[in-house]
Amino acid sequence: MAATFFGEVVRAPCRAGTEEEEEEEEGRRETPEDREVRLQLARKREVRLLRRQTKTCLEFSLLEKHPCSRFIIAIGSNAVAFLSSFVMNSGVWEEIGCAKLWNEWCRTADSTHLSPTEAFCVFYQLKAHHSVILCQCSCYVAEDQQYQWLEKVFGSRPRKNMQVTILTCRHVTDYKTSESTCSLPSPFLKALKTENFRDQTCCSLLEQPNIVHDLPAAVLSYCQVWNMSAVLYLCYTDVMKLDLITVEAFKPILSSRSFKGLVKNIPQSTEILKKLTTTNQIQSNIYT
Amino acid sequence: MASRYDRAITVFSPDGHLFQVEYAQEAVKKGSTAVGIRGTNIVVLGVEKKSVAKLQDERTVRKICALDDHVCMAFAVITIFIGLTADARVVINRARVECQSHKLTVEDPVTVEYITRFIATLKQKYTQSNGRRPFGISALIVGFDDDGIPRLYQTDPSGTYHAWKANAIGRSAKTVREFLEKNYTEDAIANDNEAIKLAIRALLEVVQSGGKNIELAIIRRNQPLKMFNAKEIELQVTEIEKEKEEAEKRKSKKST
Repeated sequence: MAATFFGEVVRAPCRAGTEEEEEEEEGRRETPEDREVRLQLARKREVRLLRRQTKTCLEFSLLEKHPCSRFIIAIGSNAVAFLSSFVMNSGVWEEIGCAKLWNEWCRTADSTHLSPTEAFCVFYQLKAHHSVILCQCSCYVAEDQQYQWLEKVFGSRPRKNMQVTILTCRHVTDYKTSESTCSLPSPFLKALKTENFRDQTCCSLLEQPNIVHDLPAAVLSYCQVWNMSAVLYLCYTDVMKLDLITVEAFKPILSSRSFKGLVKNIPQSTEILKKLTTTNQIQSNIYT
Repeated sequence: MASRYDRAITVFSPDGHLFQVEYAQEAVKKGSTAVGIRGTNIVVLGVEKKSVAKLQDERTVRKICALDDHVCMAFAVITIFIGLTADARVVINRARVECQSHKLTVEDPVTVEYITRFIATLKQKYTQSNGRRPFGISALIVGFDDDGIPRLYQTDPSGTYHAWKANAIGRSAKTVREFLEKNYTEDAIANDNEAIKLAIRALLEVVQSGGKNIELAIIRRNQPLKMFNAKEIELQVTEIEKEKEEAEKRKSKKST
């Protein structure tokens, strides 16, 4: 037994065998009810990839059905806004699918017109050039759903000659450094790449301990395991909500090979970005 | 690991951090951007005004407030607090009471430095008490003293305070501070109008929708506090944009 800080007494786990082991065994046996609840929960947390207009599930994984040479994933509202303003206005993009998932932190939106505040995960393909696929993911994919997401998107045997670029943001306090966060020039970009990524990164590599989290980490690990060329551009910022300065911190990436030919009109992009960031500016009453 | 030493305010970590105080500084970064400039004959306070919910009364969201003003309104001390709104309200009330108490006791109005020191001491007390958390606010305090010299002070959640020539607090404060470091020159602040323009230009670096989301207040020597209305700010913004265009034309002429 152990006492916690708040005074509650909890059962401390014990690796040595105890007399109560047999009783515990009985308790651990699953009842039909438990099994039913577990199956229902698994069904609810399933990641489904659909064609949004027809609401039918894709039979194969997305990249098996739509092979491409460049796959760009934006995770988080700032990365999504960056792609929306700088890349998506440069051509005609058609939607090829969307991921629907549910977890305690997010329920992906069902509506066809998505506002920046809703959580969604949509895939687009350039109409003129089927070799580029974009993913805009503003929902949180939980740990138990990440592998499902990867399988449904990449498939069980992903193509090796595809370059994957991942864009995401983290709070600057996640950046491990001995300096105080006040002295860091946030927002700033750091990169992390797989062994097969041979190009030059647009910013310095993330220093040790180079730890990344959540879906970006899952995608990068998956690419490393399958010997694919992938790079993660991570923007450390002190404003996690949609913010003009944070989005503009991604700009150095536009000159990289992954974005070749995808960026046409930068002044117009800046205008689009300004509009996106001003639609949702209601003051929080907690902070002045 | 930070997590073992950051749950109680009164515990130092082995490498000397008071994590709760540092986390309180993060709370300040969640507020709007505010900028303060000390000119030769003027002090300027500007702040980003974000839009309020439709049904909310905008007048209750005043950011720049007076801590003290004389009967003749000549020696006002104004301030802006950025961070947790409720904490700001509590500290402002205490500071106002202290201003009056000082006047009653010594028959002189507070100096800007005195009231800043009072606020900083109050904040420091809350970083050393058991069962209390630090105030999650930083303040910019400006005013003129009896000797006619303009002052600008900044305090932060740890209870430190310093005098500044120009400073910014809140969201993206670093960007604004870098802009000020580049553009704060003796010429820029010698002229009152130039000092006002510098404050607005600094805010426009980070305020996303232009002049209509800026609140500005100035005090000139021996004059009462003046709050700028939307039209006056728009006028300044138009002038700034004109100057920018002319500077760019001159640059392109030089290069050709």
